[in-house]
Amino acid sequence: MPASSSVTSPASALAVQALYQDHHSWLVALLRRRLNCPHGAADMAQDAFVRVLVRPDALPELREPRAYLTTIARGLLHDHWRRRSLEQAWLDTLAALPEHLAPSPEDTLTIRQTLQQLDDMLGRLAPKAREVFVLSQLQGLGYAQIAAQVGIGERTVKRYMAQGFELCLALME
Amino acid sequence: MKRMDDATVIRQAAQWLVRLHSGQAGADDWAACARWRAAHPAHEQAWQKAERLSQRFGAVPPALGVPVLTRHIANRRAVLRMLTVLGLAAPAAWLGWRHAPWQNWTADYATATGEHREVTLADGSRLTLNTGSAVNVAWSDTERLVRLERGEVYVRTAPDTAAAPRPFVVETPQGRLRALGTRFTVRLQPAGNDAPATTQLSVLEHRVEATPRSGGTARIVKAGQAVQLTAMQVEAPQPHTADAPGWTQGVLYADAMELGDFVAELSRYRPGVIRCAPEVAGLRISGAFQLADTDYVLAMLRETLPVQVVLRTRWWVTVVPQGTVPDPG
Repeated sequence: MPASSSVTSPASALAVQALYQDHHSWLVALLRRRLNCPHGAADMAQDAFVRVLVRPDALPELREPRAYLTTIARGLLHDHWRRRSLEQAWLDTLAALPEHLAPSPEDTLTIRQTLQQLDDMLGRLAPKAREVFVLSQLQGLGYAQIAAQVGIGERTVKRYMAQGFELCLALME
Repeated sequence: MKRMDDATVIRQAAQWLVRLHSGQAGADDWAACARWRAAHPAHEQAWQKAERLSQRFGAVPPALGVPVLTRHIANRRAVLRMLTVLGLAAPAAWLGWRHAPWQNWTADYATATGEHREVTLADGSRLTLNTGSAVNVAWSDTERLVRLERGEVYVRTAPDTAAAPRPFVVETPQGRLRALGTRFTVRLQPAGNDAPATTQLSVLEHRVEATPRSGGTARIVKAGQAVQLTAMQVEAPQPHTADAPGWTQGVLYADAMELGDFVAELSRYRPGVIRCAPEVAGLRISGAFQLADTDYVLAMLRETLPVQVVLRTRWWVTVVPQGTVPDPG
């Protein structure tokens, strides 16, 4: 289990335990409604509590534990749907690709994994910013071309690019 | 406090990247960025992240990556159609990173994959850059320094015309090679799975003094000898032909070379990926092969060895045992 060293303090350990006892089944029920899958819901609730454990500093001043858990759960659900839609878009795109462009099976696997990493990194960018960033970094377009294609000013393109690079650099290990 | 510093450096790195990716950046932009990188170790560290990011993007063909990563956009179908139309052009762009545009831009002389280039320096010394290579030239009052950043270079030095003759030195990440009046080749070998990065020095005429970066024992390498350099040491010299390397004539000579090595060598001269299946990697091949036409070389493999060459695309080539996949005819 990932846990930061500060978790060892008895006060926050107790706080997490209390949070778990009081709200675990409530959270599972909430996630089950959204996911339509009991096992997935239990797993995701587990993930949510792991996130609480990793950031115990937020616990002491927690007045609305359910609001806090809901926020975490929303983030997890968002990731979940994003991965689902990635899978779908990946399959659609592969199917639509002309045969002479199709990668070999082993390359397909590598590309799929890399795309997952990139998608996770870009997940926090606004849709327009994401589009701009991808057109630059994958398609290799210059800012003037991107501005024309997306229908925004070049200054905005630059701002989006800065956001994208900052986010990605911060997330690169 | 530390965290805030990191954030500042990352913001600066991001600003440099924004500038360099505009599509209008010139050599002076790259030079300015190189100065920023050199100004502080933290800058260089952030830049390494940028390079890894660039490689990550480079590993994805745009025809696949763009539709998937911009799938939330309503006109996704339109994007998909557009890419299908662009289809053939797209993979060429994603191969960009193998040519390492970062290094090419900042280097004084560079070649793309499959390209050769001959350069005459201010003192009359000549460099021939092999495929996918980059060098920087740093002349000073005390030495004529050539930094090999990537790839392979064939050096023919000329005597220095300065009043106090300066030594001619080739520097690599592994060490320094001081020419003692001479012809030699230097090749960088990137780190492999279980092998560290090395420099290979082959001397064709006279001698070269090789000193590892760590400051370990220097070794004099004579004509007809080749050595490997790591940052820690210069290994024992091996006998080596004193002929000019085949690639300077655009030829790859193989003398009972293992097919796996042959394919790896060939892949240096061809954009994209060539792989060799392990079942056939041990087959031996001999001959002189024209590097200008790697398609023909690949076709020759089929004629001379029990292998099949599978071209999934122009850029994805696999050499497999004969009969692995049905032959299209």
